[in-house]
Amino acid sequence: MAENVIKIRNVKKVYRMGQEKISAVNNISLNIAYGEICCLLGKSGSGKSTLLNLIAGLEKPTKGSIIFNKRHIERMNEDQLAKFRQQYVGFVFQSYNLLSTLTALENVTLPLIFRKVPAAERNKKAMQMLEAVGLSERANHKPAQMSGGQQQRVSIARAFINSPQVVFADEPTGNLDTKTTYEMMDLITALAQKNKQTLVIVTHDLEIAEYANRIIHISDGKIEKIQHNTNKKKATVEGGNQI
Amino acid sequence: MSTSDMIKMALRNLWKRKLRTFLTILGVVIGTASIVVMVSIGIGMNESFQQQVEQWGSLQVINVSAAGGGMVSVSNSGSSRNEKQATEITASTIEEFKKIAGVEAATPVMSEYLYFVCGKYMADASVKGIDPASMEAMGYKVEQGRFLEEGDNNTLVFGADVVTGFYNPKLSWEMRYNSPPPEVDVLNDKVMITTDWNYGTRHADKNLKPIKVDVVGILPSGGETGYAVFMPIKALEQIKQDQQEYEEKQSGTKNVNRVKKGVYQNAMVKVASMEEVQQVQDVIKEMGFQAYSLTDELETMKETTKMLRMMLGAIGAISLIVAAIGITNTMVMAIYERTREIGVMKVIGASLADIKKLFLTEAAFIGFAGGFLGIIISLGSSKIVNIIAVRTNSDMLSSIPLWLCGASLVFATFIGIAAGYLPAKRAMKLSALSAIKTE
Repeated sequence: MAENVIKIRNVKKVYRMGQEKISAVNNISLNIAYGEICCLLGKSGSGKSTLLNLIAGLEKPTKGSIIFNKRHIERMNEDQLAKFRQQYVGFVFQSYNLLSTLTALENVTLPLIFRKVPAAERNKKAMQMLEAVGLSERANHKPAQMSGGQQQRVSIARAFINSPQVVFADEPTGNLDTKTTYEMMDLITALAQKNKQTLVIVTHDLEIAEYANRIIHISDGKIEKIQHNTNKKKATVEGGNQI
Repeated sequence: MSTSDMIKMALRNLWKRKLRTFLTILGVVIGTASIVVMVSIGIGMNESFQQQVEQWGSLQVINVSAAGGGMVSVSNSGSSRNEKQATEITASTIEEFKKIAGVEAATPVMSEYLYFVCGKYMADASVKGIDPASMEAMGYKVEQGRFLEEGDNNTLVFGADVVTGFYNPKLSWEMRYNSPPPEVDVLNDKVMITTDWNYGTRHADKNLKPIKVDVVGILPSGGETGYAVFMPIKALEQIKQDQQEYEEKQSGTKNVNRVKKGVYQNAMVKVASMEEVQQVQDVIKEMGFQAYSLTDELETMKETTKMLRMMLGAIGAISLIVAAIGITNTMVMAIYERTREIGVMKVIGASLADIKKLFLTEAAFIGFAGGFLGIIISLGSSKIVNIIAVRTNSDMLSSIPLWLCGASLVFATFIGIAAGYLPAKRAMKLSALSAIKTE
């Protein structure tokens, strides 16, 4: 198999709820390869989201190590994590999480703004990204003026604009109807495959898991089984003219 | 994040909550306006004091007198400060004064009470003898004619009130008061000077011959110089010497306290700027002289109202503190509302510094905008205060110098940043994850 972008070694995450200790992630080890589409599948409360947060550096593990390109994420401080996210990571959230004061275009440019990319350059890039997700004519709309599907497209454009090595998607279609869900999944996987980017999807939906190369079943904070998905769903729509 | 992006985003965030931003700014406006107006009243009071004092004479002139003043100089016995006591002022002392940094001119001063004759009229005044070359530098103003100049000898410059004070010595006191002041043209008519106060009456001393003098200028009425007459000191000294000689001859005894020529008790020193007056005054005191200037008077007046001015300032300061708390409150509210937004920004790569700066920029802008509008309002209220002050004849004039505008703008912005610091720090510390989780 290709080289691994993420190596997870014996990771534990324990939450304290009053007197009780709850192991959300219990001794998980996992490798994720470059260019892989990987799905963390599990029921609500299985610990799949916690695992994603740990990999993305949003939470610190109680034990174990997470190595991203030879760098230990669990050892980084907040500023290092901010730089790390700017450079290597894109996020797609269930609830889109667009900034309501900014237009679609500005929301897409936001990661570039934090990287101090000059306005002309970042706007050009963001326009291309919006075209790729099929929203170029909505560039100047505010989030409140767009449908859920459109907002998620903007958020996908935002996740990919930096050409990150890894894109994390946490229940990306949780708030969308079935038809839009497929559109969205087609879009995300097409974009990721085009540039050989790694995609880590968290979901409870088997249908969505079908899009992945590998499905990691998680239950009670442990890996139940790893399933190589041979009859992976193909992107049915054109993922647009990605950069 | 670049500065321009930061400002743009901050303004947009403020604009989104227009009403709240406006109300917070309003607080700063009131705070700034009250502090500026209060301080301006304090400044205005000082300025009107200065104008008052300037009517009494130039603030840049120091009056120097020799210790002891001709009397037995054992005064100041316990005082260790004045170890060196200078008892006389001579030409070399004047030269020393002129060498002190900041001194523009210096002259010895003597005064004699003398009488003037113009036709059948007389007047009397204290004549000040000074170095004629220094008169213009001393800051006097002539209304007609000219100042005393180098080379003048028996030349006089009259105060306007002395000119209107001419009377007919032949009339009784009562009649003098009831008759209108005589028309005398001292600039053109023949004027004489005499030490004989009975001149022109039947008690006049025939042996005292009046001296013919030239009146070359008239000083404005009122103030310091209205009742003064200036004369070159050499000429005045001669008159004094002659008088002393005559008196000794009359009485046949030697006057032990006789004033020597070239030795004076007083001097005036003109300083180039008001700021240097105290400094020069101290140097002169070091030399063993007593020195007094109108700035002393001004300082005393300022000192007595200091308490009032401080209280005015404190009232302003309190309202600005209230405004600062308003800013903090607004920013804390904003953080609660924007917890999610902050988290999202962190997750997609905003650094801690970016988050902090964004909130500080917003707070700074509230301070800046409030300060700016506050200044505009203060300029307006300052006008109103002045109109009322003029109507009620009060000293509470308000004056807003440019530096006060600048300082209050900077101060208001600073208050904004200070008030926003805690909330900004709090926003920075929000965990990215808990921020996103907030529904």
